[in-house]
Amino acid sequence: MTDATAKPAIRTDWLSKTLAGLLLGLTLAIIASGLLMVRLDGIPLPVSGQLAMWLVPPVWLLVLSLVYFFRSGLRAWAWLLAANALALGLWWWQQ
Amino acid sequence: MRADHIRIYKSVHTWTGILAGLALFIAFYAGALTVFKEPLRRWSTPPAASVPPVPMDAVQPLIVQTLTSTPAAARSATLKLEGEQAIPRLQWQVRTPGADDHDESAVRHYSAMLDADGSVQVHEQPQPLLVEFIDVLHRVVGLPTDTDPHRWIMGVICVLYFVALVSGVVVLLPSLVKDFFALRVGRNKKRMWLDAHNVVGIVSLPFHIVMALSAVVFAWHDQIYAVQDRLIHQGQWSQAPARNQGGPDFMRGFMPERDPARMLPPSQLVQAARAAAPGFEPTGLQYLQVKGMRPVVRVWGKNPQAVAPRAVGGFAAIDPYTGDLQASDFLPGAQSTPSLFISSFFALHMASFGGAAVPWLYFLLGLAGAWLFYSGNLLWVETRRKAQRKGDAMPVQRRDTALMAAATVGVCLGCVAGVSLTLAAAKWLPGRAADIAAWHMGVYYAVFFASVALAFWRGAARAAAPLLWLAVACTLAVPASSLLGWLLPASGAWADGATLGVDLTAVAGALALVWMARATARRVRSGAQDSVWSAPDMLKKSEEKAAAVLIQ
Repeated sequence: MTDATAKPAIRTDWLSKTLAGLLLGLTLAIIASGLLMVRLDGIPLPVSGQLAMWLVPPVWLLVLSLVYFFRSGLRAWAWLLAANALALGLWWWQQ
Repeated sequence: MRADHIRIYKSVHTWTGILAGLALFIAFYAGALTVFKEPLRRWSTPPAASVPPVPMDAVQPLIVQTLTSTPAAARSATLKLEGEQAIPRLQWQVRTPGADDHDESAVRHYSAMLDADGSVQVHEQPQPLLVEFIDVLHRVVGLPTDTDPHRWIMGVICVLYFVALVSGVVVLLPSLVKDFFALRVGRNKKRMWLDAHNVVGIVSLPFHIVMALSAVVFAWHDQIYAVQDRLIHQGQWSQAPARNQGGPDFMRGFMPERDPARMLPPSQLVQAARAAAPGFEPTGLQYLQVKGMRPVVRVWGKNPQAVAPRAVGGFAAIDPYTGDLQASDFLPGAQSTPSLFISSFFALHMASFGGAAVPWLYFLLGLAGAWLFYSGNLLWVETRRKAQRKGDAMPVQRRDTALMAAATVGVCLGCVAGVSLTLAAAKWLPGRAADIAAWHMGVYYAVFFASVALAFWRGAARAAAPLLWLAVACTLAVPASSLLGWLLPASGAWADGATLGVDLTAVAGALALVWMARATARRVRSGAQDSVWSAPDMLKKSEEKAAAVLIQ
């Protein structure tokens, strides 16, 4: 490498990043909808349940779309697992 | 943002776009027309099938007798209103048991009218389903029926679509300020197409984000609800009382059946709904379980001052025996904030808000969306073009680009021509065909697959202009059918001044296609030859023909 300050190249890791986005993005979205349900406690279930359902696709697909910014597939899995664990912890704590 | 990121996201954009593009073209082209479902329905309904309205309370005997004597109608039946009048015809549907919730072809339609001596006559009413067919094409990206597996395919396409949107923005962001107002019209045609693709994409980005996310919900809401019910709602969702119409079964038998003759007349039900939401204009009454424990009349209607929860508007749930308002969860103008929030997702997808300008805006955004996917495919092809170097022989273009160009031309133009011809067929099928719905489907797919076959057989360059002229002819068949019906009523076709807008829009569309056909033919004949879009021998052939004519 001629330029010592250059950052390491970003690995494409198509398969592992895509799987991380699809799977961990979906679990994160479901947990996020659980967190939202805690917030919407005062609203009747037929309404709050719909709001929680509508939250899933945006969270899931944003994670999937942005997952390729991670430097490698391994990092994508590590960070998203951490985010899932954090959200899950928050949910349990809130309940 | 690093160059690496841009490069990676360019690949993401390329491959998600190319996989989803053609399906999305069909969804957006058919979807743009679906905005005008009601005008198209009126345009395609033969005058013989329309029943003149009467004062709405004059329909009460029909309502009472039908709901009393017909169990299927007592479950759910609809009356159409027109201002202070009503169409004296009660309609209901019977769904084949076990059929998919969304599959219109599994539904049988019945209607009841009073004959001269005041007795109820029930008829099965085959539906032409023209606008439903175009709507289905839109909902399941060009597949023939709205079933679960087809909707899941649509869901996958929409996931790709959303990722393509985000990745496209990421790729464009670093140069957005520089490129946004730039449309470099000039020698570099690819640059111009890219600029146009970018500007249309960025300007309509909010529209596309709404469409992508809501379509994913439409595809997978049942699955998401099921997962949430198990993990979050502890099974309470599937037992929510709102989904359980008619009360628990064990109560049946203890409660006497309600007598529909004691129901309030339509005018009082309409009045109750109007009082609940100022500006609400009723368009129909839906009687639900009127003999059961929880009788409801849904007074459907529109409110131009409010957001509507569904494409057809919204409803006030009213007790048909007392006129009490039971629920305003779906009443445009009287919803609670959380319900309004949910309704806005539907309204933003289906253009059911604002006044008359919004449908036209959505129509144009839908067509612009279709163009966005078409131009995306075109850019994919042009990026892989093998240019001729000075003094070198003409390069052979890559096979995959030739095939993609043919697929793009065949699918897009086949869809346009097929939709136009199946629209025009609506004026000729009544009285001639037994199963009109099947004919609409047959006409569309015949034109569509013939166009795709022609595009692959002749190649994109040789097929593009003829297919555009085919689309012109099919689109002109729409106003031509109305015109013929006006000049020659014996032909069976008809014209209706109230739906002239449909014919005029078709004429405008045909003129746009004429312009495209001429520009395409010019490019094919005399544009750069190192391209899948070039077929200069078409010029030679036509010149030879002209010369032969001259010699004779």
